[in-house]
Amino acid sequence: MDLRYSDEELAFRDRLRAWLAETLPQLPPAPDRDDWPARRAYDTAWQARLHAAGYAGVDWPAEHGGLGASPTEQLIFLEETARARAPYVGANFVGLLHAGPTLIVAGTDEQRARHLPRILRGEEVWCQGFSEPDAGSDLAALRTTAVRDGDHYVVNGAKVWTSHAEVADHCELLVRTDPAAPRHRGITWLILPMDAPGVRVRPLRTVVGSSEFSELILDDVRVPVADRVGAENDGWRVAMVTFSFERGTAFIGDVIESRNILAEVARLARATGTAGGTLWDDPGLRREVGRLAAEVTGLWALARKNVSEAAAGMVPVQGASVFKLRFTESRQRIGDLAARVLGRASLAMSDLPGAGNGRLVEDRVNTLSFTIAAGTSQIQKNILAERVLGLPKEPRWTSP
Amino acid sequence: MDLTLSTDQRDLRDGLRAFLRDAWTADRLRAAADSPDLDRGAWRALADLGVFGLEVPESDGGMELGAAEAVLVFEELGRALVPGPLVATYLAAALLGRPGAATGATVVTWADRTAPVQVVEHLAAADEVIAAGEDGLWALPAGKVAGTPAGIPLDPLTPVSHVVELPAGDPVGRAAAWRDRGAVLTAALQVGVAQGALDLAVRYAGEREQFGRVIGSFQAVKHLLAESLVRVDLARAAVLTAALTLDDPAAGDLAEAVAAAKILADDAATAGGRCCVQVHGGMGFTWEVLAHLYLKRAWLLETGFGEPGVHAERLADRM
Repeated sequence: MDLRYSDEELAFRDRLRAWLAETLPQLPPAPDRDDWPARRAYDTAWQARLHAAGYAGVDWPAEHGGLGASPTEQLIFLEETARARAPYVGANFVGLLHAGPTLIVAGTDEQRARHLPRILRGEEVWCQGFSEPDAGSDLAALRTTAVRDGDHYVVNGAKVWTSHAEVADHCELLVRTDPAAPRHRGITWLILPMDAPGVRVRPLRTVVGSSEFSELILDDVRVPVADRVGAENDGWRVAMVTFSFERGTAFIGDVIESRNILAEVARLARATGTAGGTLWDDPGLRREVGRLAAEVTGLWALARKNVSEAAAGMVPVQGASVFKLRFTESRQRIGDLAARVLGRASLAMSDLPGAGNGRLVEDRVNTLSFTIAAGTSQIQKNILAERVLGLPKEPRWTSP
Repeated sequence: MDLTLSTDQRDLRDGLRAFLRDAWTADRLRAAADSPDLDRGAWRALADLGVFGLEVPESDGGMELGAAEAVLVFEELGRALVPGPLVATYLAAALLGRPGAATGATVVTWADRTAPVQVVEHLAAADEVIAAGEDGLWALPAGKVAGTPAGIPLDPLTPVSHVVELPAGDPVGRAAAWRDRGAVLTAALQVGVAQGALDLAVRYAGEREQFGRVIGSFQAVKHLLAESLVRVDLARAAVLTAALTLDDPAAGDLAEAVAAAKILADDAATAGGRCCVQVHGGMGFTWEVLAHLYLKRAWLLETGFGEPGVHAERLADRM
């Protein structure tokens, strides 16, 4: 056991640091959060830069155009880009972290050749059509149908929580192709072109006030059978491949971001005057900052332990769920602490002169989604209790 | 970077785990709770396994291993609720080379001079007391320390004595290393206490039936146990990282790693102990179920080598 990076890993880190130091100052200012075309352009331009420098698809195998980096190098990549405050993966998220890896595992050669290079170059944006208004945590209850008509499927239904739908080129879509089969066995995974006739995007306004995701309404949408990934009715298994990616290293960069936010809160507390001193004179506040700093340190230790286990060929089901549960909860506590320091300046999500409030307040509201998205905390606890602690399943009441 | 156990480390841990499972059964713990005098034979048996000499040089009869191995061993000791001044005796052997500590011939306890109230663990059983001040360490023969034993100690397996005045003693070293390593080893014990409490609670939840089903099938109970698991796993990663930083201080931030480990492990053990009592329902409030021993040990260890608030302030000062 040791904590040190190898010489090769240090060389990888140093090259990356040098490239980030040279590249980040050349970036244009980040776009307005409500300007979706500009957000797509910004995110994909960043992906194009990563590609040109050889950093696209860090976790993808080299034979599919990725970097084929080891788990430790992936950790270093996420650590260094977050530390340098490089752009977030943004509009490239589904393509790079879900759809691309799924095509690598389950797609045909033709599907891979058509999509993988374009995802890596930032030329193709994907969104996800899994959840439905009546199928959230219980994803297998999905009811969007696809009926075979010659060499096409005809799709009808509705999807929800689809990020980047307004600007996506393709959607990874789960549909029910056999309503008579047991519910996990009648599902199929399709590549839906977002410009197909019958696809309607209805943006949903989030509690932050912006429309971070949309509802998709699908009316007699025709999808070629050639755009099916995996076998008909085998879509649940294909989708589970995707989920194993989602719960892997997804939050590592966010731990660095947590530390940045906590440091900002401490700085604000030291700078905020009170009668006879500053907010930082309050030992209760300092202890809360210290406890959350311990959380962040522990989460980083856990991330490194998970990565070590992945590198040793172990499957991090336990580590990923544990990490997600604790990280999301800590992040919300950091938001509450920020609000405590901001006091009445926490009442505005836009910047007040000299208060440093805007980003912190928006972040506090935004992190409400963290304990819900990608498997709610309650579902994660069920997973840990049943799969790790070996407790019996509750009787399931499943839709017919 | 590699935070997975080597084969040797796994063997060390598994061997000790098997030994402790046989040596410290539930019946043995119940008996010790009613007659808590330190069992010198059991103490020697630990020493014979190399527990106190893990970091002692091979030329002095030790195993010349590091803090990484020590936290694996101390987690097992905590999990089995092994009683005795384990951390102080270990540190006396590893850091101070006190005669007899590594072999189990000498039982060493310690007192923190900076604490406003002096309560010393296992004073009656100890041969030597290490007194830690702000900066220095002093060795005192236990016979020279006058203490009044508490009639009813909180942890039934840990007799405590109230000490009004600590004599001067011989200077034997610096306090900083003692406190850092002591905090990490105490945190390792706490991870073990938390894991032991979780094991006991999971077993009970899988056996106890109400409403015609085992209670572990109810989400309300599952979630309590899953939360305990999360706390243990987070604390274990933090403790391991702190130990590796003790072994290689240039590879990380030692002060930060030590403080985080103690805070998270104290939380895992105290909350995990409470969870264990709660899951046992009314039986958890009885003396005959062992749940209370985990919680009481967690409360005891929480006070040693810096309670979490002190460590939290240290972390805040570094921000």
